[in-house]
Amino acid sequence: MTTNSNFLTRNRGILIFFVVMLLAPFLIGLLEGSSPAVVLANEGGLSKFLEGLGIEIFILAIFALSFDLLFGITGLLSFGHAMFFAVAAYLTGIALKTLQLPFWQVTLLVLLAAIVQALLFSIVLPRVKGITFTLVSLGLASVFHIIVMSSDMINLTGADVGLQGVPTPAFINPASERFRFYVIALIFLVATYIFYRRFVASPTGRVCVAIRENEDRAKMLGYSTTTFKVVAMIISSITASIAGMLHALYQPIISPTVADLGFTVTALLIVLIGGVGTLSGAIVGAFGFRLLDFTLRRFLGESASFVTGSVYVIFVLFVPYGIIGTLRLEKLSTRAGWKELFSRIRGNA
Amino acid sequence: MKTTLQKNSKAILVLIVIAAFLVIAARGMSGRDVVITVLRGFSVGSVTFLVAAGFSLIFGLLDVLNLAQGALYMIGAYVGWTVYVRPDTFVDVLTPVLLILTAFALNILWKHLAGAIKMQAKLRKLISWVLMAGGFVLLWIFLTKYPISLWDLNNYSQSPITYSYMADQGLRIVPAEATFEVISPIIAILGIFVSSSLSAFGLALRNREETQLRKMNWRQLIAPALLFLVAIFAAIFNAPITAWMYALSTNWLFVIAVGVTILTGVGLGALIETTLIRPLYNRPIYQLMLTLGLGTIGVQIVQAVWGRPEFVWPKPELFRGTGGACPATNLADLIENQCSTIMILGGRVRVYDEIFIPVVGIIVLVVVWILLKRSRIGMIIRAGVQDRQMVEALGINVRRVFTLVFALGVGLAAFGGALAAPSSGLTPTMGDRLLLSALIALAVGGLTSFPGAALGSLLVGLIQQFMIKYGQIGIPLPFTDVVFKPSPALVPASTVLLMVVVLLILPNGLLGKKE
Repeated sequence: MTTNSNFLTRNRGILIFFVVMLLAPFLIGLLEGSSPAVVLANEGGLSKFLEGLGIEIFILAIFALSFDLLFGITGLLSFGHAMFFAVAAYLTGIALKTLQLPFWQVTLLVLLAAIVQALLFSIVLPRVKGITFTLVSLGLASVFHIIVMSSDMINLTGADVGLQGVPTPAFINPASERFRFYVIALIFLVATYIFYRRFVASPTGRVCVAIRENEDRAKMLGYSTTTFKVVAMIISSITASIAGMLHALYQPIISPTVADLGFTVTALLIVLIGGVGTLSGAIVGAFGFRLLDFTLRRFLGESASFVTGSVYVIFVLFVPYGIIGTLRLEKLSTRAGWKELFSRIRGNA
Repeated sequence: MKTTLQKNSKAILVLIVIAAFLVIAARGMSGRDVVITVLRGFSVGSVTFLVAAGFSLIFGLLDVLNLAQGALYMIGAYVGWTVYVRPDTFVDVLTPVLLILTAFALNILWKHLAGAIKMQAKLRKLISWVLMAGGFVLLWIFLTKYPISLWDLNNYSQSPITYSYMADQGLRIVPAEATFEVISPIIAILGIFVSSSLSAFGLALRNREETQLRKMNWRQLIAPALLFLVAIFAAIFNAPITAWMYALSTNWLFVIAVGVTILTGVGLGALIETTLIRPLYNRPIYQLMLTLGLGTIGVQIVQAVWGRPEFVWPKPELFRGTGGACPATNLADLIENQCSTIMILGGRVRVYDEIFIPVVGIIVLVVVWILLKRSRIGMIIRAGVQDRQMVEALGINVRRVFTLVFALGVGLAAFGGALAAPSSGLTPTMGDRLLLSALIALAVGGLTSFPGAALGSLLVGLIQQFMIKYGQIGIPLPFTDVVFKPSPALVPASTVLLMVVVLLILPNGLLGKKE
């Protein structure tokens, strides 16, 4: 990275992505034959439908980013990651529906819950390592899943049917203000991504990468590895909670499947498709996963998850670095190839 | 003696506390309830143990956390059910499966032939891919033409639920035999064999390095030849074998079903290890993710073949008697009348669920324990758990032991499925629930410790059952009149709590080795 690079050049890729995604609804509207004013007024049609799909992808991408920070950057494999998302979603739903709190209080509550959860996971962090941490996180998350599914709390959570009828604040109602919601979700995604890039490049982020590579060595160098892990955990938890909150506001039903192990596996799959530890891979992966899932469900119905599972296995076996990771590797080798070619030409000349 | 006490003081303390809790919990119940609850705890613990034992062996030796274990447990249950309730389907499926196995078991012959062919590397690669793909397509075509009498998920009167129900009532429906209509039997059998041989040959053509080293030995062809003969035998005598199995006493049918299940589990385990896990030995986290994906695929396959609704596996005759002397009050009565229940200390206990399953669990524990402690292979496994590289350095082919242990672990899980299904029923979610229990049992007992797996499973089973019992009678909260009744859905939460508490005190579990 050169010293004179400013904010714009450093984040060129994501800013182009932002502009393209911002213009996409209008372009699709034009192709369909409806003017930008119609798109802005949220009057249905293909554009509005695709905006909905886009919102789902953005939410998934934010969630996958938060998972990548823990798994890909810090090297903590947590099978309880869906809990961050689900707690925020349910808390938003319950606070808006049953407690009828104002929106800013709900936001505060969700952020507080995110930090408390991260600290809860952090209690076990210094004690258990590796696979055992994975098991403990799975256990903690399944307790939450069990509580959500149990009939004891049916009035609050709706048990296995899911939480329905959450009153969304009018200014971001996904039905009447779809475009506004779309832009907000997009802004959250872009902001999260830029923040994460900055975080990974910061001294704190560097230590997190060091922990992934070799924890004992990082400890030897005098870093309190647990503190850094807790920091990564809190950031990741807050991000996942934002995704969960958006999910609760956007979806008409909060289904208990978001608290499931399966939802964590979805994040894992997205990160794997995109490339573990690449950050931008999470966004690419979210697009790939959701579009694949959408198409498969349309044509295959129930057996779609069989194909998704197979895609997962194929990626694990044959494309371990994901799309972005493989591209980066190829880029290096192509560059090396060019260099070698040049040096040979020079040597001959 | 004193040093062992001091070394394990924490573990012993935790065990004493848990035991004290269980005793206090038991004091609140009548003697009848205690007997039933403890026996059920043993029963759940035994099934959990069968899955957890495989887990701990595989994790200990291979460092692979096999998260597909739950799905394999479930597949075991469904395969066993098929043999037990629909023997005709089993006999029909037997021939094609054995033929494919024969083709791939002839690997040594294919490698020899492939070594004899000399050609360019690129051409070789291309031809091998073409052969493999072509072989699979042909195999698929022949398999769809091969007649297999199956149930019909969309037609209720021919669904697995109906067949189970009728078998449970003692009225077995013998469905119409599927016959060769589209193609003649000889062409079908030859077609399956040749097309799977083509893909096996393509596979052998791929890795060139090994081909020169292989020497043919006629003895190595005996096993494939036997497989082939059995396949042909099953094809020719399809109808008589089916009729014989339908006429068989359900006790023997149950034994056959369990045997086939174990063989299927062992075969699947060997297949998964050699083809999928082996390429990933230097990327441990990917192995974990791979097994996770396999688990999802397994559930999907079961849902596609056997359907989503729950159905039962009727118990064998030995555990169904409801005659005059039942429920039996003593052992002689029980054996004479083959009662389904027995009275112990005033509690009515189901013989299969609460006595047979724990007994089998203990037998498996003892057998595997002896295998580990006394046999040569067990010695290698134990040494490998302690230090894998050292064992390799001593000149032992650890890879082969890996395959063996993986196959054994999966076989145990499949066995557990077949054992548990007659008492718990079959659903596509049965694997997920048990997977969580087994993982908790392992974490509590110590991840790589075999006795730890047994102890953890027992604790998980007991605590679950005590919680269920208290869900029925309620826990009077101290100093208040409120009676708290945990709903059955909350029961797994209690075992997770046990795991978290134990891990906070002992990060390596109760019997895990210290690092």
